[in-house]
Amino acid sequence: MTDQLRERLARLDPMHPGVDTEPPSRELLEGIMSTPVIEQPETGPEQKSNRWLVGIAAAAALVLAIGGVIALTGGGTDPVASGPPLELTAGGVDLTAMCMVFSVEELAKAPLAFEGTATSVEGDIVTLTVDQWFKGGDAGEVILNAPQGMEALIASIPFETGGQYLITAYDGNVNYCGFSGESTPELRAAYEQAFGA
Amino acid sequence: VEVSSEGERRDRFEALVADVHEPLQRYIRRRVAADEASDVLSDVLLTMWRRLDDVPEGAVMPWSYGVARRTLSNHRRAASRHLKLVERLETERSPVVDDDPAGLLEDPELAEALAGLPAADQEILRLWAWEQLEPREIALSLGSTANAVSLRLSRARKKLADAMTRQDPTSPGHIGDETAEENRR
Repeated sequence: MTDQLRERLARLDPMHPGVDTEPPSRELLEGIMSTPVIEQPETGPEQKSNRWLVGIAAAAALVLAIGGVIALTGGGTDPVASGPPLELTAGGVDLTAMCMVFSVEELAKAPLAFEGTATSVEGDIVTLTVDQWFKGGDAGEVILNAPQGMEALIASIPFETGGQYLITAYDGNVNYCGFSGESTPELRAAYEQAFGA
Repeated sequence: VEVSSEGERRDRFEALVADVHEPLQRYIRRRVAADEASDVLSDVLLTMWRRLDDVPEGAVMPWSYGVARRTLSNHRRAASRHLKLVERLETERSPVVDDDPAGLLEDPELAEALAGLPAADQEILRLWAWEQLEPREIALSLGSTANAVSLRLSRARKKLADAMTRQDPTSPGHIGDETAEENRR
């Protein structure tokens, strides 16, 4: 059975079969297949935290990591976030080197961990006010940014103004690979367990 | 829980990619600009790698489109935060019309009528005519039921026909008159 309307609509298709597509690059596939598969909690067929998982996926697909210099100042022990802004910028660190299977034990090794609320999301710059330092810092504000070509990393966590996020960093490299993300009850519980908060 | 060796998992993924990469690429490029499409596709493939054990037998393509749909939705949400309101409205109004396929020039009335429909109606018509999915498959990719999709598809077709009639009152019901009987071969 043919359908005239269906055929007519099909002729409007900008990607009709006559338009060439590109095969996947070997590099991309190898990058993806070297990504560890995080054990899913038993939540049935629908993934309840799909948005977050896709975010992790986006980061790992690029096999990149946010890196750069953390301008840590004065090692105050005051848990109240009060220090000058901390800036994390993107670098070329190989994510596969840090993309471990998620576990509380691994999480606990992060020298820097905090929970923050996004106060502004402008292009590739996300500004967070720190709600709580779990470990390793005293800045009241953290600025995440990514240079050209690495914007997808910032986009890999669905930052929204007003949203709350849990972030860990190793030597200035934000660990986007499952260890940072939206502040879900599950991730927060893992942070509290890892850092004894 | 399925236990499989690393190599076996890689083989399964490679076989899956061989089947779905091209249709997924078309699906994504129909819906976002070319410069964004490769990022979205990479994300979709990575999600599929992570969820390889969830791929349903016999419904691989609808399932893959479902993954792509959710990934696109995440990208749009992220992108919309970077746009001013006016820019966003423009983007939402004409997602693919600017791509200027040959058919658009041949059939501007239909293109215009389609672009004027509510987004959900447009999407169901695209899944049907561009991805060439049947209602049962559309339902799988949208997380709906075949009956509900059939109904929505039928309504969307009716709206499209009405829009065409409004454009050109001299040929009423031009695309709405056809019936299954007329088209049966």
